[in-house]
Amino acid sequence: MPVDTLSTRLTGLRGLYRAGYRSVLVYRADLLFGIAGLVIQATLTVVVWRVLYDGHDEVAGVGASTAVAYAVLAACIQSILMPWQFSSLPLRVLRGQIGVDMMRPRSLISQNLAQAAGTMVGRLPVGAAGLLTGLALGGVKAPHTLPDLLAWVVSMVLGIANVMIINLLVSMIAFWTVEIGGIMILYRFGSAFLSGALIPLWFMPGWLQPIISWLPFQAQIYAPLSIWFGTRHGVDLLGTLALQLGWVLVLFVLLQLVWRRAVHKVVVFGG
Amino acid sequence: MAELVRTWSVVREDLRASRILLRAGWRAALVYRASFLSAIVGGVALQGTQLLFIGVLLSKFSVIDGWRLNDVAFLFAMRLAAHAFYVVPFGALVMIDYSIQQGEVDRYLLRPAGIYLQVVTRHAPLMALGDALLGFGSLAIFAGQSSVSWTPGKVAFLIAAVIGGGLVETGMQTFLAAFSFRMTSTISLRILADDTITRFSGYPLTMFNRWGFLSLTFVFPMAFIAYLPATMLLGRTDQLPTATWLAAISPCGGLIIFTIGLTFFNWMTRKYNSPGS
Repeated sequence: MPVDTLSTRLTGLRGLYRAGYRSVLVYRADLLFGIAGLVIQATLTVVVWRVLYDGHDEVAGVGASTAVAYAVLAACIQSILMPWQFSSLPLRVLRGQIGVDMMRPRSLISQNLAQAAGTMVGRLPVGAAGLLTGLALGGVKAPHTLPDLLAWVVSMVLGIANVMIINLLVSMIAFWTVEIGGIMILYRFGSAFLSGALIPLWFMPGWLQPIISWLPFQAQIYAPLSIWFGTRHGVDLLGTLALQLGWVLVLFVLLQLVWRRAVHKVVVFGG
Repeated sequence: MAELVRTWSVVREDLRASRILLRAGWRAALVYRASFLSAIVGGVALQGTQLLFIGVLLSKFSVIDGWRLNDVAFLFAMRLAAHAFYVVPFGALVMIDYSIQQGEVDRYLLRPAGIYLQVVTRHAPLMALGDALLGFGSLAIFAGQSSVSWTPGKVAFLIAAVIGGGLVETGMQTFLAAFSFRMTSTISLRILADDTITRFSGYPLTMFNRWGFLSLTFVFPMAFIAYLPATMLLGRTDQLPTATWLAAISPCGGLIIFTIGLTFFNWMTRKYNSPGS
């Protein structure tokens, strides 16, 4: 009888992770247009922010070079973390393939998280192209210090975990209703705004900032980038990382609870 | 004369077919109330986040390239309303790859209506109603707050410009969709075009320097969607690096671009190879 060791568990999940990144790399035209899209977006974004800052040294305490670099880096990170189809779960529920997934000897949550990780790795060339464009246009700034860079790495890992869990949570709505196109679009664009991917929290109206800072979305992009630009130190930095970790734990528990409810709702189509 | 009568009767038949197909598509879509509502909310969210983005930006900066908040909001509203004129009647174009890959086009060839007509009436794009709600709502609000001194002539120009802007977007997407008959999948190319239009066509486009502006006017003609007609209404044509008459006739740009797109689409249908299903 085969023993279910950590090694065999990881082997199973590695296959799904590979399927994730191969699903990106196999459609070369899509990948190339994705790269072209981010190059255009990064170029035009740099121009827009520079024109906006024309005649201003600082706005809301933020200088032009920081605002431009934030916009470019946020676009690059978002292109990796939020592909157009960020989860295959709704389609698999619709087609009845979810039945096969549930029979596999790995939990559905770990299968989906492994596949999502693979998809993100497959999209790294897109983000890299945007970053190179930003660098070529002089629109990207490195972190101030090495500790800032290290803290950013930790914060970004927590941000990625946050995105992966919320993406899966939202996808699980497919267990209750298959018509989730509108909800997915609402989530995609709502989270882009609330995470700081479109605009940093520094520029948000005063009344909106405290609301957004207590939502989980700002921990995805705004929190890591605010660390990248050296705006957090000491207790503030630790507090940011602790809040990010707290959100990951809370969301993971929520994911388990939703999955326990969802498993009783599964209807496998197609017989 | 006989030729003219024959052409008119073909057009009449196509209009009748489109009326029947559209009615069937919308009836089918409206049966599911919950998905109807969630699709509308999704449509509002899709374009609404860009409106929020511009709103937050302008609350901090108040001027973009010499344009004040009220005029940028008006420009943005024109773009949103024009977008509604693309997605409400032609939004189903987005499914062209699927129709080709699944062999649906084989059936289209057998029916007594044009392929393009059947592609755009394949289903009712419910989410487009959200776009329309946001587009016409914001235009109604921001047109009054802009610095345009409204006259009946300017209102007529605005209506023509918004319809023309919708046709520009439709023409561009139709042109790109035509490549699906050779490449099988062009969705990422069309998303790229859509995303660029969504993000940047609501800005004063002269901010992208002379060559950038000329590219966005003659190569990827999104300047015709809202910017050129808006400069005419706002009396800002002196900012254009092109002749003023181009802004004056910009609502006609939609007809020209749509005709080019449709002609190319119909020509590319000859390249269609059935997937053999």
